[in-house]
Amino acid sequence: MPDSAPSETVSLQGNHACALGALAAGCRFFAGYPITPSSEIAERMSVELPRVDGVFIQMEDEIASMGAILGASMGGMKAMTATSGPGFSLKQENLGYAAGAEIPCVIANVMRGGPSTGLPTRPAQADVMQARWGTHGDHPIVVITPDSVPEIYMQTIRAFNLSEQLRVPVVMLYDEALGHLIEQVRVSDGGDIEIANRKWAADPGPEFSPYAAGEDLIPEMVRPGDGFRTHTTGLTHAENGFPTQDPDVVEQYMHRILDKLEIHKGLIESYETIDTNDADYLVVAFGITARAARRAIKQAHEQGIRVGMFRPITLWPFPVEAFESIIDGKRGVLVAEMNAGQLITEIERYRPAECRIEGLNRIDGETITPRQILNRIQELADRE
Amino acid sequence: MAESMPSRAPRRTDKTPPAPAIQVAEKPVNVLVVGVGGQGVIMVSKVLATLCQRQGYQVKQSEVHGMAKRGGSVFSHVRFGETVYSPTIPLGEADVLVALEWAEGLRWLSYLKPETGIFIADTQQIVPPFACRNRQHGAGSGYARETVADVIAQVANCYAINAGQIAQELGNSKAGNTMLLGMMSTTLDFPADDWREAIRMFAPPKAIDINMQAFERGRDWVETHDPADLDPNQGGDQPAPIVEVMHEAEFELPVINRAWCKRCDICVKFCPERCLSLDEEQIAVLHAPEKCTLCRICERLCPDFAIDLKYKH
Amino acid sequence: MSEADKQFNIHDYLREYLFPHFLCPGCGHGIALRALLWAIDELDIDKDRLAFVSGIGCSGRLGAYIDANTFHVTHGRPLAFATGLKLARPDLEVIVITGDGDCLAIGGNHLIHACRRNLNITCMMLNNEVYGMTGGQVSPTTSDDRFTTTTPYGNHEPVFDACALAEAAGAGLVGREITLQTPSLKDVLKQGLAHPGFSFIEVMSDCTEVFGRKNDLGSSAEMVLTQKASVRPDFLENAVDQPFRPHQIKTGILASNDRPEYAESYRNHIDAMKRDHGHA
Repeated sequence: MPDSAPSETVSLQGNHACALGALAAGCRFFAGYPITPSSEIAERMSVELPRVDGVFIQMEDEIASMGAILGASMGGMKAMTATSGPGFSLKQENLGYAAGAEIPCVIANVMRGGPSTGLPTRPAQADVMQARWGTHGDHPIVVITPDSVPEIYMQTIRAFNLSEQLRVPVVMLYDEALGHLIEQVRVSDGGDIEIANRKWAADPGPEFSPYAAGEDLIPEMVRPGDGFRTHTTGLTHAENGFPTQDPDVVEQYMHRILDKLEIHKGLIESYETIDTNDADYLVVAFGITARAARRAIKQAHEQGIRVGMFRPITLWPFPVEAFESIIDGKRGVLVAEMNAGQLITEIERYRPAECRIEGLNRIDGETITPRQILNRIQELADRE
Repeated sequence: MAESMPSRAPRRTDKTPPAPAIQVAEKPVNVLVVGVGGQGVIMVSKVLATLCQRQGYQVKQSEVHGMAKRGGSVFSHVRFGETVYSPTIPLGEADVLVALEWAEGLRWLSYLKPETGIFIADTQQIVPPFACRNRQHGAGSGYARETVADVIAQVANCYAINAGQIAQELGNSKAGNTMLLGMMSTTLDFPADDWREAIRMFAPPKAIDINMQAFERGRDWVETHDPADLDPNQGGDQPAPIVEVMHEAEFELPVINRAWCKRCDICVKFCPERCLSLDEEQIAVLHAPEKCTLCRICERLCPDFAIDLKYKH
Repeated sequence: MSEADKQFNIHDYLREYLFPHFLCPGCGHGIALRALLWAIDELDIDKDRLAFVSGIGCSGRLGAYIDANTFHVTHGRPLAFATGLKLARPDLEVIVITGDGDCLAIGGNHLIHACRRNLNITCMMLNNEVYGMTGGQVSPTTSDDRFTTTTPYGNHEPVFDACALAEAAGAGLVGREITLQTPSLKDVLKQGLAHPGFSFIEVMSDCTEVFGRKNDLGSSAEMVLTQKASVRPDFLENAVDQPFRPHQIKTGILASNDRPEYAESYRNHIDAMKRDHGHA
């Protein structure tokens, strides 16, 4: 039985770091369903949650797990679930409910190869688009892609903070390789990390509207039992919480749930840049691929190629302004990802006319190597 | 109605044993236990039968459970003696008639021995649905009208007591039957501890304490009530109060919310008095309020929450 | 009639500003909702502590009309949401309102596992034999030969006996009643609410406008009378089957057990773990 050790540096598997990060963030409810390669998150939660008077439950399926965490979250608990591609697909409908009814929740998707059952034990980064557009309809969602075990830990805490503050589902998206990677993590005792909580409604007056929001576009959350007795629905609703089809009200609602991420993008967006200022070329990579890219860039520098790296940590919403300022003046961009080309479609939207964009894709269940990236950087430079 | 209305009942003075304790002779002793399903008629007769068997008598017990469900008429014949042939008690041959419900007791009065029969009755009244002969507003019920005083005049010995209520004060109205057993125990010459043991065998485990208390209350009541103490004006001559069947006075007539009515017609179809109808807009109206018995069927069956019977208080 | 019954005022429990409700004329769901609120009133449960979780369909919309904490969730999943809600908030009285399609078809898996876990939730399933809201398609409880918009030649699929399913899966209490017997329905629901484990109550509702019309079943009054005729009284339990009443249904409390309640046994296990491992 692994022991959580407060405020010390321990060796942790990526999936365990995700579980401990969630606990540090205040998560006290986990519902899940076994699926490779994410099961270690559920297993660790089943050990840890009872010790802190939390609730762990293994549900009958992926859909029920997603439903249960939303139920717990509506009851006032910070809640999460974890899964991989096929299970993530099953969770999508309820994920849409979380987006529409604005129920905070965190979902870890440890990516494996696909489609279908695919390569359960092999890494991939092919859920970039599923994470963004998996559920139906226009919806807000935040997707975070860490690239190391310590970052999984810290970003899981941040995922909860964002979800609770913005009332939006947050997806922790990383691949099997990171999930099973063991690295040193400084586990917090709680003193040195920032925890954000949801805004609770306090005054159940007669005029109270559960979905009325101020300038921050985020309505206060109602805790059952506090005297509000409000209605929560997945139907498009007015500020009073009840369903409506009035086009004006519908439009106002849609704009609010979409715009709330836009106006809080300063809080949401995060990215890492390496040597981008005086670079001619740019590598865009995230997750495990970014680690290979780091080494490749170093080697390219040794060869005199001026190349930098842009690593989105918040994958969705994509940090557009930061990226646009970095891509400006670049002669070529290499987008390295373990899929047939998903993030590259987003990058192309922001391509300056004179800039070349190329993809480095790997879809064989293996990670992209530094050598592959270096070769492509060299090719990019040689073409000039 | 508190404990009242005793009668020319068999008396017990300080030193004498309880009233003309029935002697088991060559002829068997006949005890008839009657009541309403759910009251514990069978329990009473089982206690008695077991007790008699343990005293060494032959016992025959014949019971009719009447309606299997709660509310039907139930009776049980218990006959015991040196030798018993027939399991049933002929008319006019019962030594003791134990009635757990007043009207059920009246129904079986003719089975009591005219000269010596002992009538032990709970005056509590359970009014059967068919006693509501007329559903009209304020109409009287078809329940038996005989008062306790009327019955005293008809039988040799009468103990009438609101055992159900007293048992309720003890904590469980169902122990009323045991209280009657306590009263009956004074009329049969068996040791009191044997009675207690038999009751323990049949009372529900959780209710043994209450049943034992009820048994003692029954015995004490017989011992402490002397015919001389009886004030004929206190209860004995009063008609037994009829338990309210209808609640006519407590509700106002149905009010129909026209805005919520969806014209489904279900209230009109189910009104037993046909006092609702649909108007020209197909909305329900109470066209014959004088016929309404305030039964609330329309209110409960309205799928649209459009009918209300307001509680007056 | 108890004092509570006399004073029960349905309007204390309704969001009146949403009325008249959206249900079709004669829909049995309204009668069932009244019986449920009546049972709640008799148990004197604080409205702030009441949490209704409902799915999609006609049944799913009922929650919105109740003045309580109401959650209208995704199709078939109210039991999953309710499981999370109840585990997170044991202080809430969690009640699921669902329908035959929501509960037995798309949500069937959640039902059997909710029964198996025996978490203290009351599930009221309104069975009207049809998907009413989507226009009257066949459901897992549609009777033999009935016409629906997806069984234009009559239904040939076997009917799901929801109560038998719930009982077999281990539900703490299983009951069924028709809407016409409103006081009995209230009593069955009341026992379900009071039961410490998972209670499954099937309410035989009627869909007059869609199902009834398609099958010439008459007005809602006629439909509920037909239902009443198919109820098998207790005393016929062991009697010879009556071959001319093919839809005979048993009503009342059909099964109950005292298996450990899920949350309680969870806590007991955790307490034992803490003692054994010396965790405070």
